[in-house]
Amino acid sequence: MMRHLALMCMLLSSVASAQTSVRPALELQCASFGSGPTLECTARLKRAGEPLRNAKLTFSAHMPSMPMAHTIKSVSAIATGQPGEYRAALELEMHGLWAVQIDVSAPLRDRLVRRVRVEPCNATTHCPAQVMR
Amino acid sequence: MLGEHAVGVMSDMGIMSLLALSAYLTLVVGRISFGQQAFFGIGAYVAALATTLAQWPLAAGLGLGMFTGAVASYALALPTLPLSGLRYAVATLAFGELVRLALQAWHFQLDLGEGMVGPAGVEGFGDIRWLLLNNVSATQYLALIAAVLLLVLLILAWFERRGLGVALRMTGHDDILAAAQGLPVRRLRLLAVAAAGALAALGGGLYAHRTTYIEPALFDPMLGVHAVGYALIGGLGTCLGPLLGVTFDLGMLEATRVFAGWRMVVFGALVAFFLRWRPRGLLDEVLVHRCAQWLRSKWRGTR
Repeated sequence: MMRHLALMCMLLSSVASAQTSVRPALELQCASFGSGPTLECTARLKRAGEPLRNAKLTFSAHMPSMPMAHTIKSVSAIATGQPGEYRAALELEMHGLWAVQIDVSAPLRDRLVRRVRVEPCNATTHCPAQVMR
Repeated sequence: MLGEHAVGVMSDMGIMSLLALSAYLTLVVGRISFGQQAFFGIGAYVAALATTLAQWPLAAGLGLGMFTGAVASYALALPTLPLSGLRYAVATLAFGELVRLALQAWHFQLDLGEGMVGPAGVEGFGDIRWLLLNNVSATQYLALIAAVLLLVLLILAWFERRGLGVALRMTGHDDILAAAQGLPVRRLRLLAVAAAGALAALGGGLYAHRTTYIEPALFDPMLGVHAVGYALIGGLGTCLGPLLGVTFDLGMLEATRVFAGWRMVVFGALVAFFLRWRPRGLLDEVLVHRCAQWLRSKWRGTR
């Protein structure tokens, strides 16, 4: 009980401490296909100019226009073989503007969010999705 | 152990409950607000600005967000509360859109060494990294949200059993009769509406830090309509009503995906059903009174 109280106090009162680690730079490319649609994203991560290797990443998405109502379950990303490159596919519920969230759990902890516009697309082809800051 | 998705859904349920409770407070005093999303947004932006740009502690950021939400809600209520039901609802809806459009036009960014941070119009406000910087896990944050919600519920339940709670309900049921009984109807409504603004802003602050990213599109009328819908479905007889509405929609329909793409249709149909056949929701005053009587008789029987 006391431990939980101490944790609460810590959460509520601690002052943000500046982290010394450099944040990874993200380059994201996404393409959609199918009527679902499925959104396939490739993330290239660099840290201090070098590709971020052996990173643990999960991708998830939510729809900003309907907060807390359309949240896509997170998917673990797999390394493509290229240095610092990771890929994951998200099964979206509809077309529109999505906020794609990339959670890095190793070798550092961070969260990167990009807005991605997914337009209706012919089921047989991959259509590039517009990635915004 | 809870899975990552379950923790996320439960955190959303806790945050949405705070927004639904804010809609509930305005409904209790006889006003329907379709603008609670504005105070949610104000709380989100203010708390995020406080913890990112000013590097305040989370509690101080949330507190400032609550204060700003309460002041904004009070300021809106001063000229609009005298309006009758529908007009008040439209006025709050208009205010909600006004805030959303203002946020779309607002740019205020500072360079914190790792890029520009702050509101950037329609592009939103990202990198709200207080939880990451302080190594707070999603489960720990869920515990914090649950503790905050529990505290709010205890305070509301305590007030509901006292004179102030009864006076607020009297105001909502019949304001002319309440005024005839000597109750300060206007002051009571202002108090409830300001508290509702603070609650919504608290939810917004917690949401901003959970997702690390907010944008004006989040605070569109759908969010406010949902908050009112949850309170109406769950019931206005007790502060547990809105939680029931949130649990039903986010916990059952969203988490289980039973109705998949039809979820919003089911939700809309439910609101229509309840408005027609049970206008004060599932846990209305009569049911709550009966449950309380039954519990009291059981309690006496065991002694």
